Amino acid sequence: MAADGLHENETLASLKSEAESLKGKLEEERAKLHDVELHQVAERVEALGQFVMKTRRTLKGHGNKVLCMDWCKDKRRLVSSSQDGKVIVWDSFTTNKILTASGDGTCALWDVESGQLLQSFHGHGADVLCLDLAPSETGNTFVSGGCDKKAMVWDMRSGQCVQAFETHESDINSVRYYPSGDAFASGSDDATCRLYDLRADREVAIYSKESIIFGASSVDFSLSGRLLFAGYNDYTINVWDVLKGSRVSILFGHENRVSTLRVSPDGTAFCSGSWDHTLRVWA
Amino acid sequence: MSSKTASTNNIAQARRTVQQLRMEASIERINVSKASADLTSYCEEHTRNDPLLMGIPTSENPSRIRRPAPSYREVVKWILPSSQQSK
Repeated sequence: MAADGLHENETLASLKSEAESLKGKLEEERAKLHDVELHQVAERVEALGQFVMKTRRTLKGHGNKVLCMDWCKDKRRLVSSSQDGKVIVWDSFTTNKILTASGDGTCALWDVESGQLLQSFHGHGADVLCLDLAPSETGNTFVSGGCDKKAMVWDMRSGQCVQAFETHESDINSVRYYPSGDAFASGSDDATCRLYDLRADREVAIYSKESIIFGASSVDFSLSGRLLFAGYNDYTINVWDVLKGSRVSILFGHENRVSTLRVSPDGTAFCSGSWDHTLRVWA
Repeated sequence: MSSKTASTNNIAQARRTVQQLRMEASIERINVSKASADLTSYCEEHTRNDPLLMGIPTSENPSRIRRPAPSYREVVKWILPSSQQSK
């Protein structure tokens, strides 16, 4: 008589060891294609010129920490939320659905009008802290980052995780797709930001410096994808050359942690929000 | 929970993990050189359209237009459509 739930020749131990060897195989397969570093391919690209950015606006009015913000499509207005508000992510191709990430370790897709749960996404081993929708041309996927140090890419229709990346050494606070949809960046409490290419199925760049020891809370790309703006818990914003892997600029101004950061839809400026109760527009 | 159910759950979980990993291991991948080349050429193609890279003349950048710092009332006007503002 077969033991509970087991197929022939299976034991818990054999399943675990198969899982381990598959993890090893995944690493091997990914390593085989690691024939060059991104920054080496980028050597032939013209270096960036000098980078000058200043606070152009300081918006005061919130009574508590600023946690999250976004630009409206009309490119002029901003929406922000504070510790006394709510956080909502709107699906980019329809405004009737909401995608949420939760401390219970799952993500969920809801229909707003009926309040119905349309799809749930299980796989993170701890709180999910962030998510981003793929640019609409590239299909129905989104990426999530969690306290389990994993970034996971999901198919919205099937609820299935299609790719997972576990190279960060601490919580992933922010994930953002590269404008072409072929890659995404992440910011983490391990004080690094990283770039993962979806078609190579691996991390292709790390943005870090020995002098940066505080976590990155929020990341976003400039329109061409050449620049990565990242807000940190040491109150600064670092601007990275995505291709070459080097830091282009460091921006000072906030008087407390930078908690959120977004580039405007027309790409002419970006906005940062902070625990210092202000938002700054940079250009 | 009986130990029978617990071990069934562990096994079911382990089997799901193995299935997921098998699926992830089998996806088609491309070389980092090809992926990097594509990322690089996307950047180059779109450089011209990236105002934060190119810089735009101060007179044309809405964020750089000089005006006195807005009062809170002005900021509210700017953010809320007029129908929602109290008189």
